[in-house]
Amino acid sequence: MPMMLTLAAVFVIPIVFLLLLSLHNMTGPAQVGDEFTLENYRSFFTDTFYLRVMLNTLWLGGIVVLCCLIISYPVAYFLARTQSRWRGMLLFLVVSPLLISAVVRNIGWFPILSNAGLVNWLLMSLGIVKQPIALISNSTGVVIGLVHALLPFMILTLTTVIQRIEPELEEAAASLGASPVQVFFQVLLPLSVPGMVGGSLLVFTMAIAAYTTPVIMGGNRVMVMATFIGQQFRTVLDYATGATAAAVLMLLAALLTMLAIRLGIPRAEMAR
Amino acid sequence: MKTIAFPIVLGLTFIFLLAPIMVVVVSSFNAVGVFSFPPRSFTTRWYSQIDPSFYHALYVSVVVASITTALAVIVGVPGALALVRSQFRGRAILNAICLSPLTVPALVTGVALFQFSLIFWDVFRLTIGGTIAGLVIGHLTFAIPFVVRAVLASHTRFDFSLEEAAQNLGATPLQTFFQITLPILKPGIISGAIFAFLISLDEVPIALFMGAGDATTLPVKIFTAMEISFGGDILAVASLIVIASIALMLVLEKTIGLERLFATKQ
Repeated sequence: MPMMLTLAAVFVIPIVFLLLLSLHNMTGPAQVGDEFTLENYRSFFTDTFYLRVMLNTLWLGGIVVLCCLIISYPVAYFLARTQSRWRGMLLFLVVSPLLISAVVRNIGWFPILSNAGLVNWLLMSLGIVKQPIALISNSTGVVIGLVHALLPFMILTLTTVIQRIEPELEEAAASLGASPVQVFFQVLLPLSVPGMVGGSLLVFTMAIAAYTTPVIMGGNRVMVMATFIGQQFRTVLDYATGATAAAVLMLLAALLTMLAIRLGIPRAEMAR
Repeated sequence: MKTIAFPIVLGLTFIFLLAPIMVVVVSSFNAVGVFSFPPRSFTTRWYSQIDPSFYHALYVSVVVASITTALAVIVGVPGALALVRSQFRGRAILNAICLSPLTVPALVTGVALFQFSLIFWDVFRLTIGGTIAGLVIGHLTFAIPFVVRAVLASHTRFDFSLEEAAQNLGATPLQTFFQITLPILKPGIISGAIFAFLISLDEVPIALFMGAGDATTLPVKIFTAMEISFGGDILAVASLIVIASIALMLVLEKTIGLERLFATKQ
């Protein structure tokens, strides 16, 4: 079958060779030895530097998920419940960033977040801060960039789930004397948990796999697994270590995807 | 939640979503430079300073995306039909393999292809990396699964009686395929192809590791140019991309409908 042959040639075989590469020792720049060894994996899971890169990746992914959840919920609730004729337009605005190049969107954050940028200008004009605060070319920038890139996915997932919660439930709770806060915490939130889990898994997987945004928004300084792998292959030329980290990242993404399939929720897509 | 706070929160969220896109266009006319906002004086100078290599990269991007999409449709549509219509053991596994590139981080695919192209050079003295062919190979990894998935999705409600009717009326298998099967699957194929094309235009990690020199796509060209020096010319390029993307979006919205395009995605 031509399709299977094509996919084997362009994808399966290169991935297998990458896994083989991770089983060799580095012998020099862009060089590996002949013997097979698990040494790379042993040091990857014991060396504190590598462990810190991995923990940093998971930590940033977690923060991105949390921010996406908090920012998405009100918008998703609105989109799920509104009868407004602007709904289609607003939904269009939610998905439209997905159709603009990730590189271009990241570029747009520089005039907003840099030291002489919009946010620092506002903060200093209002007298909230005296010195500009660093919002880009660090972890903060990476989080902002990833939250912006992945927010549409969370909003779409939550909107679908909230739509399935009958508005009558909220009305019933309210007419029985529940305050809006109680309605939210005791009716809406518990019923939206499945959607929140699904959206979080989706966003987390894409956040830890992202490469372009962490490089640009982190100013090449923030070490997550993706930027680490890129660095090993582009500048450090330690292919064996890079391949090992790539194998670990791939395994992590595969496990999260399998979990998503088991839970029957939308799968992450790592094409960008 | 019907307080004044709710509309404000909604407004802020939409500002957050759209801010970087709008700022790119505004800042590209800022004479003071890339990093300062709000702009204090107006210039169109950055647009005239765009290096010709960016236009060449755009050309490469369009060529790669077109060839990739065409190949993905040619290989992917019959492949997907064979997958969905034949009954053999291990079909589920083949299905999973077909879609698996979408669950592997693009960077991993990129470095895998990169070292594979090095091996290819060592063994066969054949250059794949740094050529248009290499970029197409890299982008086929996600373009084929996109097409396959779109075909599988639009095949779930396929009415086989239409094909039977055509054959009963004397159509050859080839006629049935081109005049019945293909037209029914066409919307799915088109949406899969559009996604494959758009992602190919936009994708960085794979094109970064498979391209070099003259075979560099536009997003990779911008990505690497930013690492060297990040000036107003890059903002001008980005602003042109925003304007072109919005135009493309409006065309897609008018012809297919973005909601329908995204609906077939999951």
